[in-house]
Amino acid sequence: MAPKNRNNRDVTPSAASTAQTSATSSGSAPQAAVSTSAKPAVNKSVSSSSSSKQDWNSVVVNLANSYRDSAPQRTKLIDAFMTFLVVAGALQFLYCVVAGNYPFNAFLSGFSATVGQFVLTASLRIQTTEANKSDFPSVSPERAFADFVFCSLVLHFFCVNFIN
Amino acid sequence: MRSLLSFFALVWAVAVSAISTTGDRLLVVLDDVADQSSYSKFLGDLTSLSPCPLSVLRYWPRRGFKLSFETPKSESLSLFHLGERAYDHVILFPSKSKGLGPNLTANLLLQFINANGNILLTLSSGSSTPSSIVSLLAELDIQLPADRTGLVVDHFNYDAASAADQHDVLLLPAPHSIRPDIKDFFGAGASSNEVLVFPRGVGATLGSGELLTPIVRAPRTAYSYNPKEQGEVVDDLFAAGEQLALAAAFQARNSARLALVGSAELLEDAWFDAEVKTTSGQAAKTFNREFAKRLSGWAFQEIGVLRVNWIEHHLNEVGASNESNPGIYRIKNDVTYTISLSEWSWSSWSTFKVPANDALQLEFSMLSPFHRLDLALDPSHSTAEAAAYTASFKLPDQHGIFNFKINYKRPFFTNVEEKNTVSVRHMAHDEWPRSYVISGAWPWITGIGATVAAWLAFCALWIYSAPIDQKKGAKKL
Amino acid sequence: MRKLQAVLSKSASDELVVASIFDRPEATRYTITATMSVDSLQTLANVGKGESTRTTLRVVILFLIAGAAIASRLFSVIRFESIIHEFDPWFNFRATKYLVANGFYNFWDWFDDRTWHPLGRVTGGTLYPGLMVTSGIIYHALRTLTIPVDIRNICVLLAPAFSGLTAFAAYLLTNEMTPSSSAGLLAAVFMGIAPGYISRSVAGSYDNEAIAIFLLVFTFYLWIKALKQGSMLWGALCALFYGYMVASWGGYAFITCLLPLHAFVLICMGRYSTRLYVAYTTWYALGTLASMQIPFVGFLPVKTSEHMPALGIFGFLQLLAFLNYVRSAIPKGQYQTFLWLFAGGTFGIGLAALVVATSAGIIAPWGGRFYSLWDTSYAKIHIPIIASVSEHQPTAWPAFFFDLNMLIWLLPAGVYLCFQQLADEHVFIVVYALFGSYFAGVMVRLMLTLTPVVCVAAAIAVSNVLDTYLSAKSPKPEDRLSDEATDAAVKKAPKGGLKSTSKPFVGVYSIFSKGAVVGAMTIYLLLFVLHCTWVTSNAYSSPSVVLASRLADGSQHIIDDYREAYQWLRQNTRDDAKIMSWWDYGYQIGGMADRPTLVDNNTWNNTHIATVGKAMSSREEVSYPIMRQHEVDYVLVVFGGLLGYSGDDINKFLWMVRIAEGIWPEEVSERAFFTPRGEYRVDDEASDTMKNSLMYKMSYYNYNTLFPPGQAQDRVRGARLPEVGPTLDVLDEAFTSENWIIRIYKVKDLDNVGRDHASASAFDRGIKKKKATKKRGPRVLRVD
Repeated sequence: MAPKNRNNRDVTPSAASTAQTSATSSGSAPQAAVSTSAKPAVNKSVSSSSSSKQDWNSVVVNLANSYRDSAPQRTKLIDAFMTFLVVAGALQFLYCVVAGNYPFNAFLSGFSATVGQFVLTASLRIQTTEANKSDFPSVSPERAFADFVFCSLVLHFFCVNFIN
Repeated sequence: MRSLLSFFALVWAVAVSAISTTGDRLLVVLDDVADQSSYSKFLGDLTSLSPCPLSVLRYWPRRGFKLSFETPKSESLSLFHLGERAYDHVILFPSKSKGLGPNLTANLLLQFINANGNILLTLSSGSSTPSSIVSLLAELDIQLPADRTGLVVDHFNYDAASAADQHDVLLLPAPHSIRPDIKDFFGAGASSNEVLVFPRGVGATLGSGELLTPIVRAPRTAYSYNPKEQGEVVDDLFAAGEQLALAAAFQARNSARLALVGSAELLEDAWFDAEVKTTSGQAAKTFNREFAKRLSGWAFQEIGVLRVNWIEHHLNEVGASNESNPGIYRIKNDVTYTISLSEWSWSSWSTFKVPANDALQLEFSMLSPFHRLDLALDPSHSTAEAAAYTASFKLPDQHGIFNFKINYKRPFFTNVEEKNTVSVRHMAHDEWPRSYVISGAWPWITGIGATVAAWLAFCALWIYSAPIDQKKGAKKL
Repeated sequence: MRKLQAVLSKSASDELVVASIFDRPEATRYTITATMSVDSLQTLANVGKGESTRTTLRVVILFLIAGAAIASRLFSVIRFESIIHEFDPWFNFRATKYLVANGFYNFWDWFDDRTWHPLGRVTGGTLYPGLMVTSGIIYHALRTLTIPVDIRNICVLLAPAFSGLTAFAAYLLTNEMTPSSSAGLLAAVFMGIAPGYISRSVAGSYDNEAIAIFLLVFTFYLWIKALKQGSMLWGALCALFYGYMVASWGGYAFITCLLPLHAFVLICMGRYSTRLYVAYTTWYALGTLASMQIPFVGFLPVKTSEHMPALGIFGFLQLLAFLNYVRSAIPKGQYQTFLWLFAGGTFGIGLAALVVATSAGIIAPWGGRFYSLWDTSYAKIHIPIIASVSEHQPTAWPAFFFDLNMLIWLLPAGVYLCFQQLADEHVFIVVYALFGSYFAGVMVRLMLTLTPVVCVAAAIAVSNVLDTYLSAKSPKPEDRLSDEATDAAVKKAPKGGLKSTSKPFVGVYSIFSKGAVVGAMTIYLLLFVLHCTWVTSNAYSSPSVVLASRLADGSQHIIDDYREAYQWLRQNTRDDAKIMSWWDYGYQIGGMADRPTLVDNNTWNNTHIATVGKAMSSREEVSYPIMRQHEVDYVLVVFGGLLGYSGDDINKFLWMVRIAEGIWPEEVSERAFFTPRGEYRVDDEASDTMKNSLMYKMSYYNYNTLFPPGQAQDRVRGARLPEVGPTLDVLDEAFTSENWIIRIYKVKDLDNVGRDHASASAFDRGIKKKKATKKRGPRVLRVD
């Protein structure tokens, strides 16, 4: 597992087209990450021939390609978590629309917990992405993670307090 | 020894205590102190003491007023001493003088009423009413005939024995209450052949204020005229029929009382035992002595006096503290309110029973009533002397400063106006239902739980993969 | 040697700061001179001295600035005494006492049954608790340290103490703008003594603003920090301080609007960066949740329009981040198509959602106070209660100069310099300056929010000028080496150096021009200090509870009618006697007299205030039932006619009428209080409505007995009063203070024998009742 991961990490976006190892690495990735990365892989095989046209398939394929090829494992972990948060948030919102928002504070704290966690995770993703290194001269990945934990704890405290 | 002493103290106290609830100092104002002899029976009734305080025979009441006699012009006459009332009650008999002098001005009499003094005021057609009395009555919204003189006559109900010509000695049935919802204080128990004699009296008209109540109204056929000016023809009628009040009651807001009797002669000994003859020729006994006793008894707070013994309200919820009369409640609390009332009747306190067609009502109000409830008799808190009335209810969903209000004002009864202020606060922050109690919040609680759990898992995974990261960093370097 | 000099001047200024407490404006001036000279020294020190020296100097200077800031706010304590000022602070003081006595949880659930009788006030849930909690914590901390101190003194001195912190925060904020720490120090000085801020933070002015301005500046500092570093930690700290700010002051909406605006401007300028995303989203997600923890705020952040821009920008940033991510992942041509479709769709959906939500009432429309920020005459027409507050009036232009003096003309210069560099943080200053000046122009009170940015911008400008002209060496173009050296120094600390000037180095060569400019600047700064001292001592240090006047011989005479009257109430009335007065005095009565009031300065219930207004402006017969219903025991009016005190109730009377008219247009009409010629008069020609109003009668009752017949004079309105004074039937005069400023009346009970009050008092005056029997028309028959 370790050598494969190291392989992944060295890949940079600029070298997106050359990396081929990600398909095998998905096996060792966490379970949630498998589902997200596996799906674009199917799309790729279907529509790779029509990449010259600007149709949506190619856009999607390009997206999927670049993602599968360029993302390190930790990023995928983050993406899995974010996907989960989006789903959780959407479910809660849907429930609110369908069943009404009677304990409004409960809805707000439940929903904003997912939203807040989402943006914090997104921030973590941005800060740990190699490409953005130049934007954050003073934030190392370790520091980013520490910040992330601190902010999340604050967030969870507020949410639990607010839901009463 | 001690108990014996206290027993004697009690006996002594009962023996000498006044029977009026407000005091026993009674001032009698007469033009001539010698005139009291003609009222000896009436005044004697007022002073009578029962021979034995332990007597079980309480039929003849012990009244025990201490009388002082003064003339209006007397220098020593003063209703107040050092700003306090010098007397508890005053009887004013008719005076020949035009005014009543500087010690009995309308202003002083009004102050006397405002200071909880009671007045029994008598008029007479024989002399014009003193001006201070007229202006006092005018302030109370009681009008006397013009020029302070008037005589009530009735050509159908007169005493054929004494006023066959003048028709100015009226024979009236015993005065029962004028409305069915008013307790019959004055005529109860009178036999049908007893009549109230109203000799040569003055009638008054009453304003429509709620403080005034007529006790005796003139018969429909009576009218009032001025014998000096209208001897021949009555052109400007002052009043007639039932608009003429022959005896009236006034009770101020502080429950001080003024009783007005149009004829002082009514109280004279001569009429107490007189035999009268109705227009139809039947002989009848007079009701005057009993009436005089009841009227003075009412005026001097011996009957119709209500007392609030205690008021209690408390939280009526399981598990809550049982503190009495807390200053603050919370909205939507269940609360019980109880009030204990006694009625004084001649010589003792007894339970006050609200009449069947009436109700004692409690208001729970802030600016306007939020609840108006009938109080029910609560036998468990009632005693032989006091009746407890109670109501339980849920406080409104509105915070603020509320009053428990009892406002029970009935004719001839002293006013019961009680106000107990409590604050009703909002729900404290920890008194709302918790989210986990509300089933609607469960999905969102689950949402938070899932988020936190997923976050923990995420962090664990992240740290799990961390050493690689550092190795990589080291390698890079 | 220089170091020694610096230390000497420091210690000298230290003594002088202490001296400035004792009302000596010159002292403060020297302080600043000392600071200035230290600045110049420091500039020089930059060349040769080590880092540690400069840090020490900076710390010492900052402490001295804090000392000066505190000292200049103590005028009122020295002139008068340690007393809470004005109106609102009295409530805060009372609430703090409650907090200290009953603990936090009871404070949180406090139901105050002594205000807004008989409605009561859910005080714990309708106030910003930050101020009280802060004082409570300080109090308990000092107690733990076994320093027994009165809670009143903490409350009185809280504002000056926090002003020192504000100066420090201004220093930090300015340091983020420019690396020159001299600008930061200047900003700290300006912040410390600018009258615009002192007006709300003198000792005794125990109001929310006292700590809120510190929090405002510090939150901005953290925001800039978070933005510059793109750090979640700073963003979270910013959110936490934002939460503290929300807990402290209703003006937090200023931050709520300014930060999104800044973000929006940055996006529009094409300066979107991942740092912005991180900083903003962290701040918003945590800050909004933090603000919702305050009971008074509750759901507002998601329900009212004031908070919607922040939410909108939050969503917008998500989209941008997503788009950016997509752009980095796919080729440009596809991206264009994608962008257009995506942007169009999102915009359409967002707009539709907003319209639906607003029309369905999910999002509350803008509040009235907010409307009045856009249309200054809106409040006057629709919400008289807001317009009646003097601090809600639009600002008069001299006020800017009065409150900020030379800073106000340095503001554009500072903004210009920010434009020259225009990094993200400079955009912030520009946006803040524009936004702040607009609001300061609309509402006097918001001058307070403008002051920090003015101080920062002015400090940038001044330090730029001084840095340019103070360098001791003249650059010699021939001598490249020395030029390099100076250049290096300048680079080390580019004092807001203009881009255009810094590259081809243009120096100032003449000693004379240097001296002239520096001299002029110094004189300006000295004048500024003089002005600040003067304004503080003369305009902003009066407690307004105690009035001061000068006697003919120049000695000070204290007019203490307010406290005299409140003390009378405290000692002579029942503990639960309800006092009716105009709402201005509600907090003071509650705080000083400790009696329940009908209305107070927390103007949350317009109807209740209008009820009091109606009682004051109606005839006695109308007022009496209102007072009975509200269980009023005493009525308190403020009357300045004898002394010429213009802030009295007759001068506020038209507002009472207007507010009452807003609720009962049929019963109260403003027009009826004017003479037929449209004048507002109190003399013989006053309209009947005016003369019969309770307020008029209470003000002038028995007033003419002070004067010879026909000579009664109202010194505020300069009017000669009618010869026959008004009569009062339903009220008894209970108390009139020494200078007649406060008059208290007792409400009579219902007449004991059932008369109306007019005839009762006529009888008492000895007027006989007219013989009703003669003159009455149709007979009134008694029915029972």
